Amino acid sequence: MNYLVFRLYGPLASWGEAAVGPTRPSASYPGRSAILGLLAAALGIRREEEATLAQLRDNVTLAVKQCSAGTLLRDYHTAQVPSHDKKAVWLTRRDELGVAKDKLNTILSAREYRSDGYWVVAIRLSDEAPWTLDEMAEALRHPRFMLYLGRKSCPLAAPLHPRVVSAGGVREALSEEFPGFTGSKMEDDEKRRLGIDAEVSFAWEGDAGDILPQETRYPYDEPLHRGRWQFASRSEHWHQTREES
Amino acid sequence: MSTFIQLHLLTSYPPANLNRDDLGRPKTARMGGVDRLRVSSQSLKRTWRTSELFEDALVGHVGTRTKRLGTEVYEALTGAGIAEKKSLEWARAIANVFGKIQKSGTEIEQLAHLSPEERQGVDELVATLIQEQRAPTEDELKLLRKNPHAADIGLFGRMLAAHPAFNVEAACQVAHAITVHPVAVEDDYFTAVDDLNFGEEDMGAGHIGETGFAAGLFYSYVCINRDQLIDNLSGDVELADKAIAALTEAAVKVSPKGKQNSFGSRAYASYVLVEKGRQQPRSLSVAFLKPVYGQDQAGTAIKALEGQRESFEKVYGPCAEGHYVLNAVAGEGSLDELKAFLVQN
Repeated sequence: MNYLVFRLYGPLASWGEAAVGPTRPSASYPGRSAILGLLAAALGIRREEEATLAQLRDNVTLAVKQCSAGTLLRDYHTAQVPSHDKKAVWLTRRDELGVAKDKLNTILSAREYRSDGYWVVAIRLSDEAPWTLDEMAEALRHPRFMLYLGRKSCPLAAPLHPRVVSAGGVREALSEEFPGFTGSKMEDDEKRRLGIDAEVSFAWEGDAGDILPQETRYPYDEPLHRGRWQFASRSEHWHQTREES
Repeated sequence: MSTFIQLHLLTSYPPANLNRDDLGRPKTARMGGVDRLRVSSQSLKRTWRTSELFEDALVGHVGTRTKRLGTEVYEALTGAGIAEKKSLEWARAIANVFGKIQKSGTEIEQLAHLSPEERQGVDELVATLIQEQRAPTEDELKLLRKNPHAADIGLFGRMLAAHPAFNVEAACQVAHAITVHPVAVEDDYFTAVDDLNFGEEDMGAGHIGETGFAAGLFYSYVCINRDQLIDNLSGDVELADKAIAALTEAAVKVSPKGKQNSFGSRAYASYVLVEKGRQQPRSLSVAFLKPVYGQDQAGTAIKALEGQRESFEKVYGPCAEGHYVLNAVAGEGSLDELKAFLVQN
């Protein structure tokens, strides 16, 4: 079985979960919609191309290894907007904020981020997929649109280093070694600073092949329709363990 | 494949409180196991987008502000022999697209913003009305405001829940700026004296308060997708390059204004590294995963940043096709050269 394996790291990441109102929580690892979105951006699929996005959704199976969940950061976010005025169309932000002071309102939200999280992702494609794993790896190396870790303000802080590997199962595919930030191996000091230790977790869909679920969850992150912002639930298996390196 | 332009900036701020959380304390983030000072992405974007510098750099494309659009249309119509009553009605309909029109007459209540393209659209519509001697249709009026040529929205996007058709995907990404070293936020305990209290009953202060503050050398990162920006600006390459230069200059020179009256902490970037290429963009924040200590903070940080760029290239292969450095600490490079580098193809 072939897998496309790549690594996600950034000083800040935000893996949005179902959110209502001003609190925008983040999971500790990327969900399905986050990774599908990343792949779609790399391939250059626009948000309104529903049919192509559906193809991507229906042909990709994914698995994530959480090497470090990072730490939680809650960001108090304010944004000023003028009162709703059907007639007015502002062309620049400067214009928009130039209205009378008493017409400006502030929207508050609390947004969660994970700082210094480190994840490895493995992708499997079905036989009907219109892309090959190699094409996807190439798209990740030279993306069409910007890639980010859940929010646009969370850039990647290391190359994804995508590779196509052959493995007997999810766990083996995710055990691929990634070079460090400064050398061919991740140094102990880097690991310590990122909170990477023997404690790892796996999240995957379907049959892993070489690892058994300890628990099954049903997150609502299977994208149904981007325009209507609808998601369905899916089953995700979970396994937490220690890996002595 | 797209061409990405990445800006890496090091900016040093004296004691300040640029960007506050709900307790009024400077925002922080944990990176590499220590607490750092942070300025959020949204704070930086607002500062740059609302700055005069950004607007001035785009003059000629940002358009004009006027209340008199309706009046001009009215004059053009009556000048071409359309009856006054009709002219007034049509002029009001057209002006109303750009802003709320006053109860009578042709003036818009507030200054409305017109891009050159919109101006052209209005002129063309007026010519059509004169030729066909008829009132403007709903659709014609709607078209006047479609796909604005504004660099600001091309760069930073727009989201209108009510009109998804007008949404624009931002072509630029701004990371939260974080300090390259650990920071402990300090408290300034301050008192204000009541000048008319002559101490007959008590000598207390009229007001006491606390303000959190900290100083820091920040690393900030901006990435622009040039192809997408050109796309957002309906293929106007010249304007896209202008917008990139304007944003770069704003990022270098404009700092967040939080608590400016108490701290006066404006600063220019002391070091800028720009990269251009089609490879997957990545921030260089890991250069500071191991915090910078010591006497020569700027020198050490610059060395770490340049070393990190080289390490990435060594381990992963080329991460960009070209780069340019402006180093104000060593007096190398200039902003004009940097802007010239951005537009060379």
